[in-house]
Amino acid sequence: MRFWRMIAIVIAGMGLGLAWNASSGRGFALARNAFLRPGDQLVEIPASEAKTRLERGALVLDARGWEFYKMGHVPGSLNLPMEDFENAFKKLEPKLRGSYDIVVYCAGYGCEASHIVVRQLKEKGVHAVILNEGWPAWEDAGYPVREGEQP
Amino acid sequence: MKWLRHPAVHWLLALVVGGVFLYACWDKILEPRKFAAIVYQYQVIGPSGTLGFLPANLLTVTLPWVELVVGLLLVTGFWRREAAAVAGALLVMFLAAVGIATAQGIDLANCGCFSVDEHGGRAAGWMLVVGDLALLAACAVLAFLPARRAEPVPAGAPATAH
Repeated sequence: MRFWRMIAIVIAGMGLGLAWNASSGRGFALARNAFLRPGDQLVEIPASEAKTRLERGALVLDARGWEFYKMGHVPGSLNLPMEDFENAFKKLEPKLRGSYDIVVYCAGYGCEASHIVVRQLKEKGVHAVILNEGWPAWEDAGYPVREGEQP
Repeated sequence: MKWLRHPAVHWLLALVVGGVFLYACWDKILEPRKFAAIVYQYQVIGPSGTLGFLPANLLTVTLPWVELVVGLLLVTGFWRREAAAVAGALLVMFLAAVGIATAQGIDLANCGCFSVDEHGGRAAGWMLVVGDLALLAACAVLAFLPARRAEPVPAGAPATAH
């Protein structure tokens, strides 16, 4: 067995991967969240800033499903699940249109729901920002949480 | 265990392992963003405040192509031992990732092994570990027990009894 061949296999694969990422149109910027698309100008904020905004009266939206919301959510947040966006939006529309500072979160780094919801809100003319790392960041920071159906 | 060195056994093992790697890379190459979501869920190499997104993103875009190269080499038989060694290293990496994520209490509904679909794919569990270990054993045979060459029997040599 020749060690240089093993290195060559890995380098060839990595080179092809980087080339595909750069040229296929399916790729993404390597230093940013892969859920961000070119030109979509979404804003991501850390948990500490989300808390400050909440204290100043920002509206917080939970983009996870209802079941997750009930298990624990940011106190005062409203549930706007990605899966049921249209219905939930209709119910919350007056409140959303009356808020000038909206923060959306979902289940963490592997969860794309907040990015999708913020994009959908933008299409409807509502501006919102994303809580980076979502619920785990909030919970790990030791910020207050609430269980149950009440916001 | 002499039969493990039989060329036909090596071809069979290489086709199976290579086939699994080729099947595994396809979805990830076509849907890199969905694969990124799964890599992020593992939380082994980030993203995090200290690591940022770069290590996880680099793995996301390069891993499927290393799998593709390894798979192609295994099914064609070119550089087979080295390809099997790289495949084995990848499998050890997968087992470590699943182990670390599980130890941290992360429940992976989709391990990202084959499908990157949110509602498809296998959950990370014991079956996954057993499957990975079986493939790892095959890789070890391919890498460290080279197939014996078919040697021409010299004319007039006495038949040896086995």
